Amino acid sequence: MSSYHFVPAQWLPKTNWKTAGLLVPSLLLCSVVSAAPRRQEQHFKVAAHPVITIHNPNGLITVKAWTKAEVMIISTPASDRIEVDAEQMGNRVDVSTRELSDSVAPDDMRADFQINVPEDAELQIHNDAGNVSVANVLGDMNVETVAAGVDLEDAAGYLSVKTVGGSFTCIRCAGRIEASSISGNFRLLDLRSYHVWAQTSSGNILFNGEFLPNGTYSLKNYSGVIEVRFSPGDSFDLSATSLKGKVNNEAKLTPSPHQRHFMPRWGNALFGTFNEGRAKIEMTSFDGTINILKRD
Amino acid sequence: MATITCREFLNYLEPWMEGERPPDAHAHAHVRTCSHCSSIINDLEMIHSEARSWSVSEQDAPERVWISLRAQLEQEGLIQETIPASEDRAQAAAPRTGWFAGLFPRLPRPVLAGAYLAALVAVAFALSGPVNKRVNEARWLKGTQISTSPLSAQLNFAEQNSNSYVTRSNPVVAASLHQNLAIVDNYIALCEKSVSEDPQNEVARDYLFEAYQQKADLLTQLTERGENVQ
Repeated sequence: MSSYHFVPAQWLPKTNWKTAGLLVPSLLLCSVVSAAPRRQEQHFKVAAHPVITIHNPNGLITVKAWTKAEVMIISTPASDRIEVDAEQMGNRVDVSTRELSDSVAPDDMRADFQINVPEDAELQIHNDAGNVSVANVLGDMNVETVAAGVDLEDAAGYLSVKTVGGSFTCIRCAGRIEASSISGNFRLLDLRSYHVWAQTSSGNILFNGEFLPNGTYSLKNYSGVIEVRFSPGDSFDLSATSLKGKVNNEAKLTPSPHQRHFMPRWGNALFGTFNEGRAKIEMTSFDGTINILKRD
Repeated sequence: MATITCREFLNYLEPWMEGERPPDAHAHAHVRTCSHCSSIINDLEMIHSEARSWSVSEQDAPERVWISLRAQLEQEGLIQETIPASEDRAQAAAPRTGWFAGLFPRLPRPVLAGAYLAALVAVAFALSGPVNKRVNEARWLKGTQISTSPLSAQLNFAEQNSNSYVTRSNPVVAASLHQNLAIVDNYIALCEKSVSEDPQNEVARDYLFEAYQQKADLLTQLTERGENVQ
């Protein structure tokens, strides 16, 4: 809608050129301001362990924990053709982006979010494109994307991440991690998780974290590289199999005293125990390379 | 017409495979209408014909089996390689009882019987190994194809439908879904090739089924997003 429609036509002949010279840029500025993204800030008081759900088709979602018992949502839609709804149902806050007309261009279906939550909050985030970034949230988390990358820092709880092509980075995460993708790369750094299950088809998987006693670590891909880093003090039982690829190992493994492995009839495989074998590591690839390397 | 159950038909299965057809018309009707039982009969007939073709091509044990057996018995002192001259004469006078008896002239009968039995087992094992391997591979391949063919057809059908859905959704999302669908299709083709080359390869089969699962998930997402934008 053009802002010129707001100027009565009969005013212009009576206005001198100097006034018009000031008026026109002002109107243009108003036009620009009215089309600018409408930043919206909302606050919701919540009790312990609140649940926050976010459904957004495209955009940057940044979630951070804070010490207040409330949820703050700052949303910035890319156009006035969409609207962000946020409503509270008990101890749950639902946030969603919806279109205001039937003919919204895909580029207009974008909203960015900056959200603060209590650190024990549970998050359910669905964001197709853009990026999802979460820091210091200790509650359970379920993140699903298509092309959007997912970055988690200092998270805990039960972390479930599913992407199609988006990458996944998890730094200093604890608890239980389950991640799956088709072409996304995984970077699991400085973890303190007792259960890690990561599966990507064509992506790479890098695991550089602690192998906790009684922890289980399952890393699987189709192609690409699976790489784990270990320290001299680590203790694990290891199984690495690549059907058509290579297995490179720098760990001095001994035959496992805990369980008897049967050598598979297919592919390249490596079994053994490092130190006492307290954690269990399983790596499987179809034609990718598996690297078991010393930590720098 | 009342028919019989699969459990009841099992009573007829053994004579059926021997070529005997029961007079009970219900049994015939059951085979015609029950895909499960007719599939079992087809499988058993395939195994039977496969085994028969192998046994025709290798009726006698290979000579190396007998040479190896003799060498083993000689090494263990159960037979002697040379025959004393006196006995050689007596043996020449005696009627020939066949090449096998001549091979082990001084062997006690129980030992001979045991060795013969061992040889039979060895021959049977040598013959049955390749047969079992080929039959097993054929069964594995057939089993995999039976389970994956309808799945593959359904997924291809769903893929054709989903292509029209996603054209109006976010181009980045649509591109990602199609790109990853191509990746999964490529993996399916590679896994199918591996399975057909080595039907008993459990790892390849697991990857194949996982790739199908991923394709189904992707098509679901394509369809959902298409419906959302329509």
